[in-house]
Amino acid sequence: MWPLTLLNSAQNKPLSVELKNGETFNGHLVNCDNFMNITLRDVFQTSADADRFWKLNEIYIRGSTIKYIRVPEKLLDEVKEDQHRAREAQRARGGHAGGSRGGRGMPTRGGRGGTRGAPMRGAARGRGRGM
Amino acid sequence: MLIFSLFKTLTDQTVTVELKNDLSITGVLKSVDQFLNIRLDNIKVLDEARHPHMMAVKNCFIRGSVVRYVQLPAQHVDTQLLEDATRREAANQAKR
Amino acid sequence: MSTLQGYIDRRVLLVLQDGRTIVGVLSGFDQRSDIILSQCKERIYSMDDPVEEVPLGLYLVKGDQILLIGEMDEAQDNAVDLSTIRADPIAPIRY
Repeated sequence: MWPLTLLNSAQNKPLSVELKNGETFNGHLVNCDNFMNITLRDVFQTSADADRFWKLNEIYIRGSTIKYIRVPEKLLDEVKEDQHRAREAQRARGGHAGGSRGGRGMPTRGGRGGTRGAPMRGAARGRGRGM
Repeated sequence: MLIFSLFKTLTDQTVTVELKNDLSITGVLKSVDQFLNIRLDNIKVLDEARHPHMMAVKNCFIRGSVVRYVQLPAQHVDTQLLEDATRREAANQAKR
Repeated sequence: MSTLQGYIDRRVLLVLQDGRTIVGVLSGFDQRSDIILSQCKERIYSMDDPVEEVPLGLYLVKGDQILLIGEMDEAQDNAVDLSTIRADPIAPIRY
């Protein structure tokens, strides 16, 4: 599993972020991006020496300043299960649509007249290969 | 890139890696990647009595960015070849 | 990064650049060697006291903070009585 996958699914979950300078931020994840820049809400900030505390409504943290993030332990199993279910669903879908690549895109397009285009293209290709 | 290639030729040789926290680890070079991250097998920490932290560790991944030195087995490094390759690379760069 | 792949779902020892040592199960990693470590326990070494193990839970550690990741030989680790071990913490890195 990718670390960013885990972080993405931690939205609205409580996190604890320690920065390289030792400060920690405890709050709920609002959003994050691929650089691990994050925004937290309802935050408690703790100084590096754990002597001083601040309460913040929201904070944006640059990913490069982060040392590590502590995530609720059960989140890992939840995400693993989600991934497993998604994979199963994909396999099921690929299973009966002969060409899973076309099969996935078809239904939406097929709704508005794609039905005409698709078989034509398929037939043309079939003939070409035959000759 | 040259150093990456050099390390690749040294797979399965024994090397000693000195880290930027003064820890030295000897082991068999198993693999290396573009960041010069290193995988060592059969590791031994120098001055084991003072560093019992890694007693149960047999092989490890070392982040390239924390490596200070790598001691190479001299007999397996063709310095002449390296010099030539370095000159070639420098010449290629000058052309561009 | 092909080099961490073999450690997935294994119990590993993580050494951070600040010298802290954490044992946990490697659950994932990416190109930058950011890692997911589950069932983390920090091992705190001291010359005056036995090794203390502090449970930390699930961690996402930034790659640039990592010094080393080692695969634990579990049998050998279980054979060690941590309460008998005295040692200074691993030194933090200096630039």
